Amino acid sequence: MHILANYLTEFKNSNMEISVLVFGQITDITGKGSLKFTDIKSTGELYQLLLKTYPQLESIKYLMAVNKKIIHENTMLMDEDTIALLPPFSGG
Amino acid sequence: MESKKKHKVFVEGPISPPFIADAIAKHNSKTNIGAHSLFLGQVRNDRVGEQEVVAIEYTSYQEMADDKFYEIREDAFKKFPLICMHIYHSLGLVKSGEISLFVFTSSVHRKEAIAACEWIVERIKNEVPVWGKEILSNETSQWKLNT
Repeated sequence: MHILANYLTEFKNSNMEISVLVFGQITDITGKGSLKFTDIKSTGELYQLLLKTYPQLESIKYLMAVNKKIIHENTMLMDEDTIALLPPFSGG
Repeated sequence: MESKKKHKVFVEGPISPPFIADAIAKHNSKTNIGAHSLFLGQVRNDRVGEQEVVAIEYTSYQEMADDKFYEIREDAFKKFPLICMHIYHSLGLVKSGEISLFVFTSSVHRKEAIAACEWIVERIKNEVPVWGKEILSNETSQWKLNT
């Protein structure tokens, strides 16, 4: 039973998927407007993974929004969350 | 109340002068209005080295931007005694000399309309997720930075 419970937990975790939307100058680095990741549990973890995948992000100032709300501290993520990478706005 | 309407802010391409004239004309029937204030943002042909900006291509995180425009609208009606207000922002390509932002406020007296218009423009510049890519005369591009 215990093994089964562990297996189910693992299975559930591995199904957790988040979408990352990319905007502005960051699209020049990622080459696309949206990315998918699995098993990322927090915005901090996402930040580190992005930096590892795209080292050029180091030089870019950007904010993250989780489900359209800008966050200013490490935030836990849930399955199907949408995270946006927002470089400085330049509308108008 | 006008403030409850979630009107469409984004327009594809430039905002045309006839569209602006028409927006003004539509207010003829609201005879309690004593003052309109309009802000028009025009794409400027900034010099970049040997090149100049010939157009700006606007993109947005549209879902978040729509929420933000709605929030700004609600806040503006709470903060200022406005009779009505309208915001239009371009997406896609807008050539230099063309209009990409149109903010239109109306009130009984001038001071409220003018103050609200400025306040709304500043909030749009600071808070709405829109990005401008400047297209230069040699067909290269660079990301616009708001000053």
